[in-house]
Amino acid sequence: MKKNLNDSNRFEVAIAREAEGGGTSPYALEVRNLDIRYGDFPAVKDVTMAFDKRQVTAIIGPSGCGKSTALRAFNRMNELIPSCSTDGEVLFHGINVYDPGVDAVQVRRWIGMVFQKPNPFPKTIHENIAWGARINGYTGDMDELVESTLQQVALWDEVKDKLKQSALALSGGQQQRLCIARAIAVKPEILLMDEPTSALDPISTAKIESLLDDLKKRYTIIIVTHNMQQAGRVSDKTAFFLQGDLVEYAPTKDLFFNPKDERTENYISGRFG
Amino acid sequence: MNTRIQFMEELTRLHHDILAMGTRVEEDLRRALEALRTGNLDLVQEVKAGDEVINALQIKIEDQTAVLIATQQPVARDLRELVTVFKVTDNLERIGDHAVHLAKTARRLAEEPYGRSLERLERMAETGCSMVREALTAFLNKDALLAKDTARKDDQIDADHKAFVKEVLQFLMEHPDRAAQATKLIATSSFLERLGDHVTNLCEAVVFMVEGRHVELNE
Repeated sequence: MKKNLNDSNRFEVAIAREAEGGGTSPYALEVRNLDIRYGDFPAVKDVTMAFDKRQVTAIIGPSGCGKSTALRAFNRMNELIPSCSTDGEVLFHGINVYDPGVDAVQVRRWIGMVFQKPNPFPKTIHENIAWGARINGYTGDMDELVESTLQQVALWDEVKDKLKQSALALSGGQQQRLCIARAIAVKPEILLMDEPTSALDPISTAKIESLLDDLKKRYTIIIVTHNMQQAGRVSDKTAFFLQGDLVEYAPTKDLFFNPKDERTENYISGRFG
Repeated sequence: MNTRIQFMEELTRLHHDILAMGTRVEEDLRRALEALRTGNLDLVQEVKAGDEVINALQIKIEDQTAVLIATQQPVARDLRELVTVFKVTDNLERIGDHAVHLAKTARRLAEEPYGRSLERLERMAETGCSMVREALTAFLNKDALLAKDTARKDDQIDADHKAFVKEVLQFLMEHPDRAAQATKLIATSSFLERLGDHVTNLCEAVVFMVEGRHVELNE
């Protein structure tokens, strides 16, 4: 427990120091020479890239290209997979999240994640938001936090009269917005999203996409998506992965209109994948 | 069917129609030139009929392109190519209009001969014809170099235009009673000068399609 507090302080001190210095780095996250292997299989190969603050970055690529593996490495989710090994650095406010002594739970408090399928806790809507905040030591007005968080994800008007009902009674799209609310309730800086709309209908997808545009005013968003039109619509920058390599990383409008690498051109034009 | 294969087939169909449109534009320009040289009024009628064919092809091609964009949601080079199609058809249609202008001038001159050399005017139309053909080839072959070379020929048209206007103004001073004819000739020369600009626009669109960057050719 003491270790957690120290780790928490470590990030907070780094953030405060950066804020005092005027927040010099334009990047929310910097990845250096990231190598990830499943046993002997290299899933991500020597990837170096930086994510702009309060922007949406999309990661695209065919199945098995390493995009989700890379995303999960950003908040150490791969550690839950026994055969997975990670080398390289993922720097958050200058601190490598893989440094010995850095607690993965604290990493995930600052770098939250939303998954492909909505996975609300089998608890009330209110509790879904309150739980994460409470275990992270939030001592303010919980009802206020629940309301403001649900408003941020444009869900408040739809659920304000049923906060004590089970979250599982919500529609898929509402559940996913609740999961986003749950992720931001602990006030992270970065939201990782692993195909957050692939299980949703077009209307719910449009709501989430529109939400991303609002959320990026406060958070840095990194989204893995199979849907290239979605990457084109929601992201400021796009990274294309292929067989574990970062092939091209550019402003989205450039990557989709005039890609520099022939492999990117072929993939986004549907010539393979 | 594989959607990529389907897209390529649709694109091939589109290319055939663009080729048909461009060929008709070039042929009509040649017919108008021939009418100018020979006074054959049947050719004038053919050019006017051709303009309707060209306009119909433009609508057909643009509709097909819009459907392809909506249904296939192309990106990168594919998207640039389809965006370029709109520019190509737009400029070809305008070139077709100028062929009609030239044909109408040929009819007037058949009724009231000019009596002096039309060599420069004819050469402008001749250069225009070869520019249309080359620009179309550059588009279909995605050949940016050919597009750039083709646009340079606009200088020849501009020079002939300038010289021809000078000749007509001289004629006008000598024959003020034929001001109406002189004005029509200057207008026709201006249309052919514009024709060269439209081919240049088309060439710029081809460079954009191939290289993904906007260029000003032959400023």
